Amino acid sequence: MIQLLRIELYKIFKRPRTYISFGIMTAITFVIQLAMLTDGKTFIGFAMQGINEQFDIQGNILNGYLVTYIILQSLLVQIPLLVALVAGDSLTGEANLGTLRLLLTKPITRPKLVLIKFFSSFIYTVLLIIWLAIVALFFSLLLFGKGDMINLKSETFIMIMQNDVMWRYAAAFGYAVLAMTTIASLALLLSAFADNSIGPIISTMGIVVVLTILSNLQIPLFNHIKPYLFTTHTIGWKGFFDEPVPYAAIARSAMVLILYTLGFLVTTIFYFNRKDIKS
Amino acid sequence: MKKHLWLLFLCLYSLPVFAGDANELFYALRTKVLSVKDYTADVKMKIDVTYMRIPELKGTLYFKSPDKLRLERHGGLSVFPKKNINLTLVNLIPAGQVMVLDMGYATRAGKKERILKVVPEDDQSNIVLSKIWVDEENMLALRTETTTRNDGTVIMDLEFGNYIPYALPDKVTILMDVKDYKLPKGMAMDYISENEVESKAKASKGTKGSIQITYLKYAVNTGLSDNIFKLKGRNEEEN
Repeated sequence: MIQLLRIELYKIFKRPRTYISFGIMTAITFVIQLAMLTDGKTFIGFAMQGINEQFDIQGNILNGYLVTYIILQSLLVQIPLLVALVAGDSLTGEANLGTLRLLLTKPITRPKLVLIKFFSSFIYTVLLIIWLAIVALFFSLLLFGKGDMINLKSETFIMIMQNDVMWRYAAAFGYAVLAMTTIASLALLLSAFADNSIGPIISTMGIVVVLTILSNLQIPLFNHIKPYLFTTHTIGWKGFFDEPVPYAAIARSAMVLILYTLGFLVTTIFYFNRKDIKS
Repeated sequence: MKKHLWLLFLCLYSLPVFAGDANELFYALRTKVLSVKDYTADVKMKIDVTYMRIPELKGTLYFKSPDKLRLERHGGLSVFPKKNINLTLVNLIPAGQVMVLDMGYATRAGKKERILKVVPEDDQSNIVLSKIWVDEENMLALRTETTTRNDGTVIMDLEFGNYIPYALPDKVTILMDVKDYKLPKGMAMDYISENEVESKAKASKGTKGSIQITYLKYAVNTGLSDNIFKLKGRNEEEN
C-alpha cells in the first residue's frame, strides 16, 4: 500500500500541473499582499466605517494576521479549483493515458486503487494548505508585522490579542485541510464517472460555486437546506476567529464534512468497482 | 386658593436655586481638575458594547492637557471612543465661560453630593449641558452626565482613592450612546453558529455602551513630551 502511495505521489509531483497549483496560490497571495501594502488603508477604512464613526482604533490594524485572514477569505473559491485540478484528474488521467486498464491488470483491487488515489489527493491537499500557510501567514507577518487581530463580522467587531492568534491559525489551517479533502473526494467521485479530466474538474468547480452561492444567499427559502450543504461548513475555519470560539458548531461542521467525504469516497468505490473500464 | 398655593410652592421648590457659591464651587473644581497638566498611568480597560468583543486591554495611558490622550499597548491595538468623547474628565467639564445652576443636594450610596448643572456659553461647544455630582468635602466630581451636540449623552462615574489631591480617579466607568454596526453580509461571509443566532435573537437592541478604566498607578505632571502622542504604526496616521 505504501509503495503504491509513493508511486501515486511520484506521478502527482512529476506533473507540471501540480506545481502550477502551488504557483497560482503563491501568485494570488502575493497579489493580495501587494494590494494590501499599497491600498490596504482604504480597504480597512471602508470595512471599518461603522466602527470608525464611534471609536478610534490606534495601532497596526493592517498587520500580518489580518492580511492572512483576508487572503484566506479571498481564496475561498480558488483553493477548491486547485484541489480539483489534481483530484479530478486522478482516475480520468489514467484513463486518458490508457494506463487504467493496465493498472487494473496488476494484483491490486479496485477499492484499494481508489483509496490510494484518495490518500494521494489528501497528501497533495495537506501540502497545498501548508504552502498556503507559509506564503500567506509567514510572508504577511514579514511584510506587515504582528499585532492584535481584528475580525469584522457582519454585526460584530472582534479583537483578538496577538498572543492568542497563532493557535487559531493552526486550527484554521487544520480545518481547511478537512474542508479541502471533502472537495478532493467530490472531485475523485466525479473523476470515476468521467473519461476525461476536464469534466470532473469543471463539474467540481461548478458544484462548489453553485453551492457556495446557495450557502451565502440570504433568502429564507434556502435556509432549510443550508445546514445540509457542505459549502456551508467549509467556512467553519472562521469559527476559530470568533470570541468565544463556537467549538460545538465547529465540531458539527467538521462532522458534516467527514460524512460527506466518506459518502463521496464510498460512492466512488462502489461505482468504480462496477465500472466497465474501456480505456 | 389653597390648591394654587400648593402649586406655587411646588414651582418654587422645583426651580433651580441660583446660589452664588455654585459658580465658585464649579470653578474651584475645574481649577483642581485642570491642575493636572499631564499624567502617565498603568491602566486596565474593559469595553462593553453590544457589537464589540474586546478582551480586557492593559497598557500605559498618557494624557496631556487639554486633550492629548494615548494608550500604549506595546504593539497592540488600543480602542477609544471618538475624540470628542474623551476618556478624561477634563473634556467632560465645559471650558470657557459657563452658566452654573445649583440643583441642590442628592444622596447616592449613602453619600451626600451637590449637583450642578453647567451650560457653556460658547454656542460652538460640543457640550450642550453638563450635570456634575460634586463631593464638596474633597472637591471631586463623582459623576458627570454630559449631553453633547453630536455624540449623545455620556455619563462618567468616578471612584477615587489614592490620588484625591490631584482629582485623579482610581476607576472610571463611562456610559455612552452607541450606534448599531453592520457590515454587508456578502463582504463578511460569516460563519454563524446556532448559538450565535440564538444570542442575536436574545440580544436587546441596546444603544448604550460602557468603558471601564482602572488606573493602577499614576505619574503626575512629569512634563510629557508631545512626541509621545505622535501616532506610530501603519494605520494610525489615518485614525
